[in-house]
Amino acid sequence: MLQTNVLLLDEHRSAPPELLKALDSVGAVVRIRTPADVLVVQHGQLPTTEVLLAYAGLSPHTVRAVARRLDDEGQRPTVVAFAEHDLHLLGSHIHAGSDYLVPPFYPDLVRARLRDCHERANFSRTMEDVTARAELLSYERELEIGREIQMGFLPESLPNPDGWEINVRFRPARTVAGDFYDVFELVNNRRLALVVADVCDKGVGAALFMALIRSLLRHTAEQSGLQSLIAADLLGEDAGWREQSRAIPVVGATPLLNAVVGTNNYLTRNHIRQGYFATMFFGVLDPLTGNLVYINGGHNPPVLVSGEGKDPVLLEPTGPAVGVIPDGTFSLGYAQIGPGDTLFVYTDGVTEARSMSGRFFGDDQLLTELARAAVRGEELLDHMDGVLSEFVGPSEQSDDITMMAVHWRLPGERRDGRRVPRRDHGQDDH
Amino acid sequence: MTFDVRLRLNERVATIELVGELDASSAGRFHDTIDEAAAAGSIELVIRAEKLEYMSSAGLRSLVFARQKMGDDVRIAIVGATEPVAHTIRLAGFDHSIDLIDA
Repeated sequence: MLQTNVLLLDEHRSAPPELLKALDSVGAVVRIRTPADVLVVQHGQLPTTEVLLAYAGLSPHTVRAVARRLDDEGQRPTVVAFAEHDLHLLGSHIHAGSDYLVPPFYPDLVRARLRDCHERANFSRTMEDVTARAELLSYERELEIGREIQMGFLPESLPNPDGWEINVRFRPARTVAGDFYDVFELVNNRRLALVVADVCDKGVGAALFMALIRSLLRHTAEQSGLQSLIAADLLGEDAGWREQSRAIPVVGATPLLNAVVGTNNYLTRNHIRQGYFATMFFGVLDPLTGNLVYINGGHNPPVLVSGEGKDPVLLEPTGPAVGVIPDGTFSLGYAQIGPGDTLFVYTDGVTEARSMSGRFFGDDQLLTELARAAVRGEELLDHMDGVLSEFVGPSEQSDDITMMAVHWRLPGERRDGRRVPRRDHGQDDH
Repeated sequence: MTFDVRLRLNERVATIELVGELDASSAGRFHDTIDEAAAAGSIELVIRAEKLEYMSSAGLRSLVFARQKMGDDVRIAIVGATEPVAHTIRLAGFDHSIDLIDA
């Protein structure tokens, strides 16, 4: 039989000799304590206890306090009240839910009672485990539901304008993510919105704000811009911008500005106390010309990788992170994507990826690897994926990773990125 | 990854020293310290960041939290931020609401 640890509770640290003899003969380990002994003992210093054997002369209230103290230490002893002569004292204890032990204290009877206690204690522990696991499972299920709902806030498929390839890698570090991306058509399908954003912090809070921010951005962008295709009026006082606006057509700038400024105002007006914000890159692309107008709200600068081996261009912030600074100023940035070029947009999960030794991947290595990779979208993402997983090694991914590659195919470049060979080369094209 | 935060209060200036890495796992302790500083009615919050090696976006969120907690009238300065930390703060555009000062 299993050894039973008995904590015998008595105000005078005494017990009927017959009872002690019986306990001893059935191999129980008995420790005798007063209630005060147990209550003042430091955390972690209480002996393992399967059975709390309490003299019935103690008040049920006192016994319960001792049982609670043991509970606090993760022990769930069965409470058994005993009496030698004053059997009437047992009534209130039995009433309070205790088991009981009365003379004669024959070893066989005591053993049977202890075994009952042991089994009951095991059973209740098993029940607790089952309950705890069920609770955990239900949390996990809820989180899984959260993940599925969140996936619904990402685009189901990416638009595929003629001559362009848009590819995305999205790797949440946890079940739910703070990163998100979006690609959708604007201005009667004449423009393409490209969004990569990172809501600060992690977990469920970030995920809730991701859903809000994504919706605000997309809804505002889709609902604006039709009334005025050119945002010149909005920015009439900015002479520098006028300069550029004459050089580059800015259809799509209105939905862009409305979306980012509107979202910033909404967040700072309604949610500033919660302290969530997002860094984001929001670009509006003209697929016919490769003109890109963008706002970079405190986000890691996307990299425009040249197809001709020219130096990469970084699209630096044009405003602060979105959602923190009331009336924050966001200006427009401009870039020109040429045939063969790839725009690489990413979140800080890339540059802040860590190796086993704790080193960060970093901006410099990012640029080096982008220069080394094939500029085509899918291959570039494959390359970055490979480099990152090699860099991180077996360490746990600590942050969400999102990468978007927007590639303008060269004339004659096929969807798989290879050039169509000219007839005079006399090669098969496979 | 280690993190330590210490608070000193004197002459209504609260000085919080940050050491190590401020990220999602350590931001809670920084929040508690900001609460203490705010409760003390400080008129200036100085964050010593010479030994802060890294600040994640959760750390940036702590700065927003500090701005909220301390109120608009309280000057918040980050002193001696290392280059990676200063870069993170500037990138997000937070250097407009919080002063970045060389040590």
